[in-house]
Amino acid sequence: MKIGLSSLVLIFLPLAVALGAVDYTKFSHSTTKHKSECNTCHKPPTKNWTKVSQYPDITDYPDHDACVSCHRAQFFRGARPPICSVCHLKTSPREDARYAFRKPASSLQFAIEFPHDRHQDVIALRPQNQPRARFLLAHAPPPQQFNNCTICHAQAAAVSTPPAGGWIDSYAPPAATFKAAPSDHSSCFNCHWKSQEPVAANCNGCHKLATPYTAAVLPTRISLKFMHEGGGEKRQHVAECTTCHINITKSASLRGLKPDVPITSCTECHNKEGLRQDLSKELIALDKNRAFTCTYCHTSNVGKLDAPASHYLIAQRPPLTRRDTK
Amino acid sequence: MTRATRWLIVLITLLIALPLTAGRSQNQTAPARQTGVLRLRARVKLGESNALRGLARKRFFLIHGSLEQNRAVVEAIERQSLVTRDCYYTKNGASAALLNWLKEADCESVYCREIEQDFVRGPKAVPEFATAFAASEKEFGNSPTALKWLSTNLPPNLRDGFYRDRKGVLDALLKQAQASSGAAVQSVMTDRNGTAFFTDLGPGTYVLSNLVPTELGQTLATWNCEVQIKPDDLASEKPYLVSNRKDKLVKCVAVEKPAPLCP
Repeated sequence: MKIGLSSLVLIFLPLAVALGAVDYTKFSHSTTKHKSECNTCHKPPTKNWTKVSQYPDITDYPDHDACVSCHRAQFFRGARPPICSVCHLKTSPREDARYAFRKPASSLQFAIEFPHDRHQDVIALRPQNQPRARFLLAHAPPPQQFNNCTICHAQAAAVSTPPAGGWIDSYAPPAATFKAAPSDHSSCFNCHWKSQEPVAANCNGCHKLATPYTAAVLPTRISLKFMHEGGGEKRQHVAECTTCHINITKSASLRGLKPDVPITSCTECHNKEGLRQDLSKELIALDKNRAFTCTYCHTSNVGKLDAPASHYLIAQRPPLTRRDTK
Repeated sequence: MTRATRWLIVLITLLIALPLTAGRSQNQTAPARQTGVLRLRARVKLGESNALRGLARKRFFLIHGSLEQNRAVVEAIERQSLVTRDCYYTKNGASAALLNWLKEADCESVYCREIEQDFVRGPKAVPEFATAFAASEKEFGNSPTALKWLSTNLPPNLRDGFYRDRKGVLDALLKQAQASSGAAVQSVMTDRNGTAFFTDLGPGTYVLSNLVPTELGQTLATWNCEVQIKPDDLASEKPYLVSNRKDKLVKCVAVEKPAPLCP
């Protein structure tokens, strides 16, 4: 009997979908008929941009015309048509309030195509009269003027939201830890608005249809205690980004992109004769106690693992595992 | 549970477990891939009076194979006749103020540095920026956006034409280099100190080149040198110094030619 029921489900579920039992509360860009030119529905800039943005942008859902041309039947189905809930908070003809654009709770349907290498070729020096630079002048030596990725990757504005399950070792990284990544068009359209391809109307130039996914809340970090804006009073960590992220300038896309910071970037200061011996000290502690957890840079999830060979190499020692330690 | 069912479970378990075990033993015996790195340091001297300084924000390329194997590419690199930045912008009607603005930060295009308020109004104003700023103010309705989005109202040739021209030359050379070496060409850009890292390299012989000559004041410098990459780690790899001046530490000296005069 059970087998009979599953067979019926297997046969009738695809049939039901084929016959039109579609969930109209969910909009997918992957649907064949939704794959036409982006500006069929999204017309940059949207009418309300001056009210909600400092710059011309796509700041709202497409007009009803974009949907009705094909979905007239679903628009007028009953008093509360399910299709309305794609954009509207309430499915009622008398309620026109919409979700914030883009719909905050929905999964992301596009991956971003961004050639770091090409942008690295053309971007920019930090302007000398930037407010942060002025602030620094009063308290510290003049900031170095170097090519900078901070045009797009500014310091994160707020302390990060804790991951599900809380912070490891209760270590909540301060706001100075992470750099932000662009979450809107502000750092794109200032060059790519209308003449520099891919332009605003050519959404597909940057947004590539992908399997729906949820964006990561936090960047993956091996050394969670490293602060981008840290490095003591002199803020020694504020350096040119490519000095540590050595592989960024060769990345032609975001696919498989890794931060790639070699240990040598840290030990230039943190394990230097006559300066500091932060790495060597922890390796010596590990020699004495195989259960020692490295905590100077790492939280315990990383610090209790074997130190990688590169760490020993930089300390001019043969690599060891915890099992080798007496 | 019947005997037949038990046998069936054992059989399925074996079918699943055997390939997994085989895979694991293969992984255990497979030797780790050995890779090497090239820690590049580019230091140049502009003229005779200045000291050596790091060559910032310049791209270098690694072509697989020896100089001999890549002779055709190297010859194509050396043969190319290049239009200098000044000549390109002058030919396209750029003002002296724009030329200076670009030169101040060794910029190839207007995207290289932020356009500040001083350069759209007042004594330091660049005429092209002032015109584009006025158009942007009209279009976007507010000055901050107009300033930040100024480049969207610049003529294409002044905006990034020089960069596009160079990229066209570069792409053609890259295509040729990839065809002749039979491998992807790696590329990195130097930081402000003139340092860059090529990582994850298969051991062997490579040609280190900048493909397109670098403008060093009044000369054009081209590097084409053979490099041996051995399995190594960043931690122990010594810098590979390239320069336009001979020195016992310099591994690769540029061929310098006077920059051609503008037609």
